[in-house]
This record gives sequence, C-alpha cells and structure tokens, in this order.
Amino acid sequence: MDADSDVALDILITNVVCVFRTRCHLNLRKIALEGANVIYKRDVGKVLMKLRKPRITATIWSSGKVICTGATSEEEAKFGARRLARSLQKLGFQVIFTDFKVVNVLAVCNMPFEIRLPEFTKKNRPHASYEPELHPAVCYRMKTLRATLQIFSTGSITVTG
Amino acid sequence: GCVLAEGLLTTTYTDEEHLREVSYSQSTGQKEQLSRSLQRGIRRVQDLCKVLQLPAVFEETAVSYFQRALQHPSFHLVSLEKKELLGGCCVFVTCRQHNWPLTMGTICSLLYAKQELFASVFLSLQKELELCVPALSLADLVKTHLNSFQLFQHSADVPARFVEDREKMVARTMQMVELASETWLVTGRHPIPIVTAAAYLSWQSLQPAARLTCTLAQFCKVAGVDLPPPARLRLKELLEILLRMASQLAWLRVLHVDKKTVVKHIGDLLQHRIFLLKNAFCLEEEAQQCATVPGERSQGSSPVAGGAAQEESRPSEEKRRREGSPRPLLPPCLINPRKRLRTAALSASDCAITGDEPISDSEIEQYLRGPEEIRAFRKAK
Repeated sequence: MDADSDVALDILITNVVCVFRTRCHLNLRKIALEGANVIYKRDVGKVLMKLRKPRITATIWSSGKVICTGATSEEEAKFGARRLARSLQKLGFQVIFTDFKVVNVLAVCNMPFEIRLPEFTKKNRPHASYEPELHPAVCYRMKTLRATLQIFSTGSITVTG
Repeated sequence: GCVLAEGLLTTTYTDEEHLREVSYSQSTGQKEQLSRSLQRGIRRVQDLCKVLQLPAVFEETAVSYFQRALQHPSFHLVSLEKKELLGGCCVFVTCRQHNWPLTMGTICSLLYAKQELFASVFLSLQKELELCVPALSLADLVKTHLNSFQLFQHSADVPARFVEDREKMVARTMQMVELASETWLVTGRHPIPIVTAAAYLSWQSLQPAARLTCTLAQFCKVAGVDLPPPARLRLKELLEILLRMASQLAWLRVLHVDKKTVVKHIGDLLQHRIFLLKNAFCLEEEAQQCATVPGERSQGSSPVAGGAAQEESRPSEEKRRREGSPRPLLPPCLINPRKRLRTAALSASDCAITGDEPISDSEIEQYLRGPEEIRAFRKAK
C-alpha cells in the first residue's frame, strides 16, 4: 500500500460504553422483582438489565450509578440510557437523568494487507508491545489520544478509548 | 560488660575528644531495616535466580526491580500471592532485557501460578515501572527449548535409534522455525508449540527410516517434554507448507509425496527454501491476481455482497488447489476463516437516532412485570 494512495477504510463502531446517575438510591431487590429481563447479582451488589431496542445491557448499582454497554453509536447509547432511566421511573424511583457521559468507544477496521507483528513492534517501540504468549495482537498505546489499538497479523485493528 | 565511672560518659559532641557522635538510627541500623515481606520477596527472587542458574548481575537487577515495585503504591496492598508473582515477574523482565530466553510458562510452573494472574501482574509491572521489555528472540528460544530435550544421549528411556546429534538438530530446527516464520505460522501464536512441531519434523528428517513411525506424542514422551495442545495443528500446517514446496521440486514431481514421505526430503526443501517458496506461493503483489481470499477483508461491506464474493471465490480456490497453482502466502486464519456472525449494517432509521427522541409509555411497559406476574414470581420464590 503506497503512502500516497487514498484507500477508504470502513471503521465500524461495535460498542459504546456510557454512564449516568439517577440522583437517588435504587432498591435492587425491587428492580429484580418488578423488572423484566433482569439478572440480580446479590454477591456483588448489582443488577443487570437488558433492553431490546436499542440492544444494550445496563449495570445498575444501588447508589444510583448506571453503566450501559452494547450500543453502536453515541446517540444510541444516550437513547438507551434514557429508556432505562424511564423504566426505573416507572418502577417508582425518583430518577433524575444526570451526569451522562460516554466513557469508552470500541471500533474495528480491516487493513487491506497483513502485518508482520515482530517487525512492526521493533519499529514502533515503546508505543507497541507484543507478547505472543499472552495475546496474538500487538498492543499500541497512543497516550495523546488516550486510545489503545490491538493490531492483528491479519490486518484487523481494534481501537478502544 | 564493663563498669564506667559517671564522669566518663559524654552527651554532646563538644565533650567528645577522640570519637564522633553516633546517632541512634545509625548505631541500631534502623534505616537499613527492611520489612519482612520485602526480605521474603528478595530471598524468593534470589532463589529463583539460583534455580534458573542466572548470572549474578541478573539477580541484582531483579532484586532492584522488586524493591522499586514494592515501593510503588500500586503494589502496596496486593495479596501475598501477587507479591510472589511480582518477584517472578521481575526475574522474567530481567531475563528478557538481557536476551536470556525464558518463557512465561517456565516461570509460572516454577511459581505454581496461573498464567492469567501472572500476565496481569507482569503487565501492571511493565506499565507502573515503565520498563522496556524487548521481544523474545526466537532463535535463542529454540536453543534453550531443545536443551531440555533428552534425545542427545542414549539411556534406558531413549533407544539408540532415537538419539540425535544436538548441533544437527538445533540447526535444522532453526531452519524449520525460520520457514514457519516466513509463512505466517509464527506471527500471533505461542512460540513453544511451533518449536516443538519443528523439532519433531527435524528429528524425523535426520533419520527418517527409523523414526517415521514415531508419532508426535511418542516423540515428546521420549524427549521428556510436555506436548502443548496447539502443536498438532502447527505440525499439520507445517506439513501443508512442505507439501506445497515439494510440488515445486523437480525431482519430487515424479514421486508420490504425502505428509509421511515428505519428511524424507525436508533437507532438500530447506536447502532450496527461498526458490520453492517463491514458486509455491503468490507474493503479496500477485495475491490479487491469484485469488480473492474468502474471509472478512472489510467488515463495513454489506453481508450480501460479501457472501456473493465468497461464493465466487470458493470454486476458483478449489480449482486452483486441484491444479496445484500458487496460492497466496497468507496467515492460516485468512486461508481457512472461521464462520463469524456478521453484525448487521446500520439501517437508515438507526442512523437517524439523535438520542433525544421522545419515549412512549408502551415501549417501557415491555420491561416491567405486570402485577399478576409479580405475584406469581413471589409465590414461586
């Protein structure tokens, strides 16, 4: 691939993680009893609630902190978070949807070429780290962007941050 | 003891005539005192270095890393198990920095530790102390791993026909591993299974008449090493590469060469490796002319188009296999991709979501249990 060639790459967002707060205490037992699609993890003190549309999973703590994962865009994440807040309101809690923040976005893309990982790592130290005994991909950290890339020999790249 | 007259005892520096004042912390060595966990950890690191027969300079470096790590806030309150692993990680990092081939598997077996936990401690140590850990040298790893094989001396467990010369075996295994590296069999994979498979083929090829009937499992048993599970798959991949190369060797075309008999010709294949690889496989710039590989080259393309492309390329790929023409030199996971569930592309309605749409009550009702359902659930509980 030439440096000057203009190849369009498809970057697909596969996961968006967001958090928000309800500004009220949540009774996890009540949520588990009266909510549908709910898993109550009593040992770790949290409830998992799954929504169908958008397809997200919410982790709910009694402090009112909620983490939503599974959305495929930031807008979808906000929509899902609001739906969840409304569901909690319907259960009788005095929920106020506040402090919404997208904390992580996971995207994948494919390069149209294969990558020789040992040589790549050698040329990109100290940003790149390759431990084949642990993981088949090179871990490339970009401190300025606070992003981490997982680079596979097939040319597939996963970006998180 | 002795008895001193009161007048001889001094309390200030000015009263001293011949001696200097010694502070309490210096005289009792208070500042030099190390905590028990640190002393225990240092002893553990030193013991590990002795077991691995590492030079003295390695021990000093590993101990200094351990002391630095324990002073770091991230490792103050970790469990005793993690502190033990921390010592092992310091030894491991020191060996890698001095290009001493040591695998994580070896350290984990010495510490009786789970590899996942060791990996997490190692990555934390690397990050917190900002240590630069060079990559593992494959050539050194081959030599070290082969040194653990018990094939180089005749014994009760090793029949005479299985004994091999160390230098010959190391040289041939090194060539096999280089071949594996050039054909994408090493990148992204654990190194030990490929070294084991390469050692097995090299050992067989040095005296094929006596050793062809010995399987990989029997070989590992005779050699006194563990058989890592991926080694069988690596062996299969290596044999595929060798068979492809053999099809390009003029004096082998007239013979029927299969995965058993190709072992006899490994010497010739390795000798003409560069020429045979060039003929047997398409280079990168020719790969587009050879075939489009059935695999996920672009995840953003629509599934229908991708599926059609796959179907078109599959018959052509099979035709090329039958004809023995060059196939692209690609990682095995691209040649034989696993079936993956494709994520559906975003529809137009999904793209139009802003996040602030109104939410109707009927949408929320589906996530709430009705009163009867709640009663039934309570009764069931």
